[in-house]
Amino acid sequence: MDTLIKALIACVIGLVVGLWATALSLRNARGFDAATIGAWTVSEKAGTLEADPYTRAALEQSGEIPLALGEGLQFIARTDDTGAALSPSCAYLVGRTTPPARYWTLSLVDRLGFPVANAAARYGFRSSEIQRGADGGFIIAVSSSPHSGNWLPIGSKGRFALVLRLYDSPVSATAAAIDKDALPRIVRESCL
Amino acid sequence: MNIRRRVIDILAIAFGAAMIATLVHIVAILIIPLYATHDAFARLSPLGPINATIALAQSGPRERLIPFGDPAVAGAFCRFDLRAGPLRVKGPANLASFASLSFHTRRGSIFYAITDKAATRGMLEALVVTEDQLRALAAKDDEDTPVQDLRIVSNAKEGFVLMRALSEEPSLYPSAENAVRALTCASEPIPN
Repeated sequence: MDTLIKALIACVIGLVVGLWATALSLRNARGFDAATIGAWTVSEKAGTLEADPYTRAALEQSGEIPLALGEGLQFIARTDDTGAALSPSCAYLVGRTTPPARYWTLSLVDRLGFPVANAAARYGFRSSEIQRGADGGFIIAVSSSPHSGNWLPIGSKGRFALVLRLYDSPVSATAAAIDKDALPRIVRESCL
Repeated sequence: MNIRRRVIDILAIAFGAAMIATLVHIVAILIIPLYATHDAFARLSPLGPINATIALAQSGPRERLIPFGDPAVAGAFCRFDLRAGPLRVKGPANLASFASLSFHTRRGSIFYAITDKAATRGMLEALVVTEDQLRALAAKDDEDTPVQDLRIVSNAKEGFVLMRALSEEPSLYPSAENAVRALTCASEPIPN
């Protein structure tokens, strides 16, 4: 009788902790094969037959349609270069280079991966439309208040992330080996 | 003495709970993709019948069906079921910018992708077949005329094909959308 109660308690605690750990690991949505390069995270196996169980489960829950390796790569940054979480009350400068690709886009999304509404209706930049400096480099200002040049507005007070997509990129097969300096830096300028 | 028993009891419960938590977590992670009620296929299915080409709405703050979509990239998909025979997929890739076809199983794995660089005469074309259908096709192949089709073997009977087209500027998004709307998916008779 006594043992039965103890076993029951262990079962209930185990069930709760197990499900909680599962929910937590899915929310972080980071599989074993994700690589971190500076502030950016990339999972080159997402959506392939070799994806690990965590990547698969996270993909199922999020419902996103990943890019195939032959199409390109998607990098996500939830922090700046120092590792501090991106905050809507701060202003960031993102630039100046990306790894080689035929096209790239850089956009801002909320915690769930959707663009954030803003008065300028600007959700991202394409490599083909961005204003560049004389050396071909670019700087995107990520801030809630208007900024001259390439301004990517932070439209809400919620957590946000930056998404860099490379289309038709020769680095696809070796994403984890990309040099940190090849990716855009994310530098915090000021905070309210 | 009593305290010592208590400690042993608590340790035993904690150990049992940890074992169960681990088991629950592993099982949950592994079965989530099997239920697949939130994944891309489940989200796309209500939008239209098999083989119909359906354009995805442009990624934006109010469009909350598929997360991590690129606002610069137009997309259209068709679901397929190879039990109805091999699937002929055609997508025009006559824009100067990036376009691609990716082939996804019902379970979210990408089994093939081609970009506009592989297009012949401005057209991306492929024939999706099962292993059995490939064998039946190969048996009928004329030995003197080379096979024209790009034949892609799918291990899954069900899945979807996604066409993406990148717009170089916001004003070009409608033409990218027109390009992906021209995607066609048609079942061909099973060769016997």
